[in-house]
Amino acid sequence: MAGATIWKGNIHFRNMDVPVKLHSAVREERIQFHLLHKPDQVKLRQQMICAYEKKPVPAEEQTKGFEVEDGKYIVIDAEELEQAVPEGNRMIEVHEFVKTEQIDPIFLDRVYYLEPGTTGIQGKEYSVLVRAMQEMDVQGICTWTMRKRSYLGALQASGKVLRLNTLRYADEVIPVESLGLQIVALSEKELKIGSDLINQMTGAFEPRKFENEHQKKLQDMIEKKARGENIAILAPRRLKPTESDQLLQVLEASLKKVA
Amino acid sequence: MAVQGIWSGTISFSLVAIPVRLVKAIEPGRVSFHLLHSKDYSRLSQRMFCPEEKTMVSQDEIIRGYEIVPNKFILMTDEELESVSPERSRTIEIVEFIDVKEVDPIYYDHPYYLVPSKGGEKAYQLLVEVMRRTNKAGLAKFVLAEREYLVAIKSRDGALEMTTLHYSDEILPDEDISPKKETIAAEEESRITKSIEQMIEDFNAAKYADGRRKKLMDLLETKAKDQAPVEAPAVEEEEGEGPADLVAALEESMRKVKESR
Repeated sequence: MAGATIWKGNIHFRNMDVPVKLHSAVREERIQFHLLHKPDQVKLRQQMICAYEKKPVPAEEQTKGFEVEDGKYIVIDAEELEQAVPEGNRMIEVHEFVKTEQIDPIFLDRVYYLEPGTTGIQGKEYSVLVRAMQEMDVQGICTWTMRKRSYLGALQASGKVLRLNTLRYADEVIPVESLGLQIVALSEKELKIGSDLINQMTGAFEPRKFENEHQKKLQDMIEKKARGENIAILAPRRLKPTESDQLLQVLEASLKKVA
Repeated sequence: MAVQGIWSGTISFSLVAIPVRLVKAIEPGRVSFHLLHSKDYSRLSQRMFCPEEKTMVSQDEIIRGYEIVPNKFILMTDEELESVSPERSRTIEIVEFIDVKEVDPIYYDHPYYLVPSKGGEKAYQLLVEVMRRTNKAGLAKFVLAEREYLVAIKSRDGALEMTTLHYSDEILPDEDISPKKETIAAEEESRITKSIEQMIEDFNAAKYADGRRKKLMDLLETKAKDQAPVEAPAVEEEEGEGPADLVAALEESMRKVKESR
């Protein structure tokens, strides 16, 4: 089952208004650890610490500043920032439609399911929209305000339902250029054998094949420790890096192995 | 720019092993706002804090604990955690490659970059280039701290991008929110198709980022006109988590242990 209804609104573009309800689409269940203080095993909390006083600062004494030059700030309080956020009007406004392949997945953030908000004629429009978007292979780039925050998102059609995927802003993605990668010359032969190897190792994407095996093992270890049993410390497997001058040989050996 | 690593190890496919570091690919966009203390305009930083002792706690004084009953913990050291799946804690082994287009985007969680460590540059670039040519992504599982991640490794602008994926059992079914089967009249569909067609543009991610930035800059400009900037007090450089600190932290924790006896 999809998660509980989080929010209600209308998808809007041109003269269309399609009421929808937002549901979460993903649920993660994981073993939760607490961070403790070693000497006394007290649960630690994250706190904002003042760099000058070296003391924790309560929320009401926190404010935001824009650094104009080193150590000098224009102070902006939460209310003023709020003015920069558009009014919450429960409208998911679609500004444009774009071809699905144009959206780099690096921008995809959180995904929600959209349930039709009403039945009857308006409920029908939902299905028509799903069908049209699927046949055209497009997504709607939209903005909306939810819980006093403005969002950018992509409206997507999948199966019979609409999804709303929030998008990261372009300036939040760290550009590859800043990583300072070196360019190393590769021979056509290395590239050819490398490509052959990858093609040999290619299969269909079947996410169900992959289970979180670690979770169960971690649970076992916790139980062992709870019973006071000793835990064998195993060194992590470390692979010996392939030497640059042996890359071609290793690729050839790999290809022979998988073929 | 030196990029700070989150993790280091090797990425492998078949017999090829490449030493790499994991670095972040996303810088949450707060458009350069900093959190300040409203009393003295000093910068705030997030730290772990012991509520009992009312002190900041350094990294080496922190340990993970699993709460079996309220306030009773099973402690887990980093070494023990690495022992849970030792074959995956320092190795990202690509077990197969897939066609990038086959991945339903609902699986994508969080992107990172992998950068080559010394000596790994050539094999790194080979993997980048052949995945670009074949438009393939590698699938692997690896363990970081207490979590095992399913990841997709792709080629992006000459770098390896590693995106964590949701496990399939974490994706909720959508049948219960699906509309009932409806007959769709051809004319209704063509009306919506026409509206969409008129609104088709090329995707330009920068456009929306610029719009948001401009709005904030306008607000800041207005503020700057009627208010002089405030100045943060000078602060001595904070000591790093170097060896000197470690000795101090150890002595401190020894003292605490003695006191509590």
